[in-house]
Amino acid sequence: MSLNETGAKQTTWWKKKDVKQTALIWVIVTPIIGYVATEVQVRSMGAPASEIMASTINLMRIFTWAAAPVAGLVFAMSATVLLSKSFYGDTPPPEAEIGYRNSPRANALWVAVSALLCLFALVVGMVAVQKDSASLTDATAMEIKVTGQQWVWSYDYTGGSGVRSDVLYLPVNKPVVFHVTSVDVKHSFWIVQMGIKIDANPGYITETAVTPNKIGVFDVRCAELCGLLHAYMQNKVHVVSQADYDAWIKAQSKLEAATA
Amino acid sequence: MTTTLNRPSASAHSAPKRALIERLNIFTALALGVISAVVVWRLALQFLPQDSEEAIFFNREDKITLLSMIAWFIGFMVGIGALIGPFRWVMGKDLSHDENMFYAGKDLGVKRYFRYTTDHKVVGIQYLVVTVVIFFIGGVLAMLIRTNLGNPEGGWIHPQAYNAIVGTHGIVMIVATIIMVTGPFGNFIMPIMIGARDMAFPRLNALSLWLIVAAAAPILWGLAIGGISTGWTAYNPLASQAPLGQNGYIMFICIFAISTMVAGANITTTVIRMRAKGMTWNRTPIFIYGVVASVALALPAFPVFFLSQIMSAMDRAIGTSFYDAQHGGSGWLYENLFWLMGHPEVYVILIPAVAALMEMAPVFTRNPLFSFNLAVIGIAGISGLSALVWAHHMYMSGWAPLLNIPFMLTTELISIPTGMLFLVLIGTLWRGRLWVTMPMASVFALLWNFMIGGVTGIYLSDIPADAFLHGSMYVTAHFHYTLMGAGLTGAIAALVFWFPKMTGRIFDAKLSWISFWMVQIGFQIAFIGMFLVGLAGQPRRVEGYAETFNTGNMVTTGGAYLIMAGMLVLLYALIHSWMNGEKASMNPWHSKTLEWTVANPIPLENFDVLPTVTTDAYGYGKEIR
Ligand SMILES: [Cu+2]
Ligand SMILES: [Cu+2]
Repeated sequence: MSLNETGAKQTTWWKKKDVKQTALIWVIVTPIIGYVATEVQVRSMGAPASEIMASTINLMRIFTWAAAPVAGLVFAMSATVLLSKSFYGDTPPPEAEIGYRNSPRANALWVAVSALLCLFALVVGMVAVQKDSASLTDATAMEIKVTGQQWVWSYDYTGGSGVRSDVLYLPVNKPVVFHVTSVDVKHSFWIVQMGIKIDANPGYITETAVTPNKIGVFDVRCAELCGLLHAYMQNKVHVVSQADYDAWIKAQSKLEAATA
Repeated sequence: MTTTLNRPSASAHSAPKRALIERLNIFTALALGVISAVVVWRLALQFLPQDSEEAIFFNREDKITLLSMIAWFIGFMVGIGALIGPFRWVMGKDLSHDENMFYAGKDLGVKRYFRYTTDHKVVGIQYLVVTVVIFFIGGVLAMLIRTNLGNPEGGWIHPQAYNAIVGTHGIVMIVATIIMVTGPFGNFIMPIMIGARDMAFPRLNALSLWLIVAAAAPILWGLAIGGISTGWTAYNPLASQAPLGQNGYIMFICIFAISTMVAGANITTTVIRMRAKGMTWNRTPIFIYGVVASVALALPAFPVFFLSQIMSAMDRAIGTSFYDAQHGGSGWLYENLFWLMGHPEVYVILIPAVAALMEMAPVFTRNPLFSFNLAVIGIAGISGLSALVWAHHMYMSGWAPLLNIPFMLTTELISIPTGMLFLVLIGTLWRGRLWVTMPMASVFALLWNFMIGGVTGIYLSDIPADAFLHGSMYVTAHFHYTLMGAGLTGAIAALVFWFPKMTGRIFDAKLSWISFWMVQIGFQIAFIGMFLVGLAGQPRRVEGYAETFNTGNMVTTGGAYLIMAGMLVLLYALIHSWMNGEKASMNPWHSKTLEWTVANPIPLENFDVLPTVTTDAYGYGKEIR
C-alpha cells in the first residue's frame, strides 16, 4: 500500500461519519441527562429548611451537571456503536479492518479531563465543608444536648432552664449547636430537611450545627441501625418564632417544676 | 458433568479394604461435623460454670454456641479429609503419586464433585454450584425484604425477624459476590488461560472451597437462634447485645476469611509462577490481572476482618471490652477495622467482573482490547487507592473529623483509574463489529449501570452531600448499582461466555436474552425507585417508613419481583443447558485466549504439551501502530 493511497483515503478524524454522529448524539443527550437527573433528584430532596441543606441541593445540581457530559459521551459512543452494522448467528463477524490498539492522544485527554473533574469536585466539596463547619464555632449559637437511646431521642436545652423534652423546638434563624451522644448503642442523629447528620456514640460526644431558616415541622430520623425499633426512632422538630420558642420553654420549665 | 474423563471401572474402588482417604466425602464431613458439634454442646452445657452475678447475661450461652460451632468446623474439615495431607506429611509419609492422582479426582466420575478433590476444574465447578446456592438463599431473603417493604400498611414480618433477614441477606450476598468471579472462573478458567496444568497449591485450592461450605452452616444455624440482626456491618456495641445468632456471623466471617486468604495466596502464586512459556506480563490476558488484583486486595483486607470478629467474639463470650466505651474500648475501633476490609472488599468484587467483560469485549467486537496498558494502570490504581479510603464510611461517625477531607481526596481520586476502565471498554467497542450475544449486551449494561453507580459514588464521597445521604436508602441503591448492576452483570456474562468450556455445552442463548432483559429492566425500576426514596429521606435497614415513601417502595418492590423472575429464568436456563444443551465445539466464540485451545472435555491436566505464547490474545484486525 503506497503512501498516496492511504493519504487519499484518510479523512481527518473529526470529519468521519461515526465521529460526527457521536458528536451529534452527545450534544443532544448531555443536556437531557443533566436536566432529568438533576430535576428528579432535587425534587425528591424537597424544600430545604436551612442554608446547609440549600447548599447540599446545590452541590447535587453542580455534580450532576458536571457528570452529564461524561455520561453523555459514553452514552453517545455506545449508541453509535449500537447503531452501526451488527452481526447475528453462530459464527463471528469478520475482524475489524483496522485494529485500534491504542491512542495516546485519547488516553491523555481522557485522563486529563477526569483529573480536572476530580479536582473540581474536590474543591467544591472543600469549600462547602469549610462553610458548614464554620457554624460549629459560632459563639452566638444556642446549645442543645441530644441523647439517643433505644429507640427515642431526647433533648436537653442547656441554654434554657434545664428543660428536657422528646420533641425538638428551635427558634427560627438562630444558630444552634447539637452535642450528640448515646446511652446504649450507636445511633445517628439526622434532621432530614436541614441536611445535617452526626452519629450518636455511646461514651463520646459529637457535634453538628445548623441554623434553621424556615418555620415549620420537620423530621428527625435515626440513620444508623440500632436494633429492634430502629425504623421508628424518629420524631419531629418544630421550628418556631423566637417569641413562640420562649413561650414554649417557659411552659416546659413550669411543667417540669410541677412534676418535680 | 461432561468433563468426566473415564467412567470409573466398577471394581476399582470396591475392594474390601479401602484406604481412609477414599472413604471421606461430603457425607462423612457432615456427619462428623454434626456429631462433634452435638458432643461439644452437651459437654459445654455440663461443665461450663454458670454466669456469676456481675457477668453479662449472654456470656455462658455465647461460649457454648461458639464452642459448638468451632467443633462443627473442625469436625467438618476432618471429615472431608482436609487434614490427611498435612497429617501424612507430619508422619513423614507424603502422598504417593497414585494417591495424588486420586485426590485430583482421576477415574472418579461424578463422585469427585462431592469430595476433597484437588483438580482446579472440579473446584471451579464446585465454586459455581456453591455460588449459585448462596445467591439463591440471598435472593430469597431479598424478596422477603422487598415484600415486607412493598406493603404500605406495614410489615407482616416481626421487626426482630426482619432485622435478621436484612443482616443475613447483606452478608450472604457480599460473600456470594466476592466469590462469584474468582471462585468459578478464577479456578476453572484462569489456570488454563495462563497455560498451566493446575494451580500452584492444588490442596489449598480444595481447602478454600470446603472452608466456604463449612462456613455456611453457622450462618444458617444462626438464623435459628436469633439471626444476624445488626446488618452486614455488625457494628459494635450493637453486635455485643445482639441475640446468639451473632455468633453465626462471627464464625462465618472467621472461616470465610481463612478461605479468602488461602485462595488469595494460591491464585497469586499460580499467576506469578506458572504462566506458560512466553506469556510475559504484556501478553497476560486482562482477566488474569483482574483476578490477581481482586485476591491480592483480599490478602491484606481479610486478616483485619478476621481479627475484628475475634475481638467481637471475645467481647461477647469472655467479657473483654475492645469495643465497649464504658470500659475503655471504642466502637470506632470496630468501624475502622471493619472498613479497612470493607472498602477494598467492594473492589475485590468489582474488579474481576469488569476484567471479565474486558476479556469478552474484544471477542464480541472482533477488535483488539483498547489500550491494554491503561487497563492495567486502571486496575492497579483502583487497587492501590482502595486501601486508603476506608474512613469515607465514617465521615458522620465523629471519629477524627479532621481526616474527612484527606479521605474525600483519596476517594475522589479513585474516579481517575475507574475512568480509565471506562475508556478501555468504550475504546474496544468503538468501530467494532458487534456480534450480538448476551455477553456483548452485558458490556453495554455494565457501562450504563457502572456510570450511575460511579457518579452516585462521587456524591456520597462529598462530605456535605454525605451528611444528607449517609445511612439512607440512597446508599443502598448506590452499592447495588455497583455490586449488582456492574459486578453481577459481569459475572453472569462470564457464566454464559465460559459455560461451553466448563460444561462442554452451549448456554441457551434465547433464555439468556430473556433473563438479561428482565433482570436489567427490573433492576433499573427497583433501584432508581430506591434512589428517590433515599433522597426523600428514607433511612436504610428500616422495617417501616413514613407515608410519603409508599409509592417509591412499591415501585422498588415491583422491580425486585421482575429481577426475581429474570433470575429464575437464568437458573432454569443454567440447569437446562447443563443437562441437555447443545454440544459446544472447542472454541465456539473464536476467541484467542488459551483456554479455548484445549479439547472438550478437558483432559485431567489440561495440556499434553504445555503451550508457548508468542503474542497477546487481542490480535483482531489488521494491526496499526
Ligand atoms: Cu437507629
Ligand atoms: Cu467505601
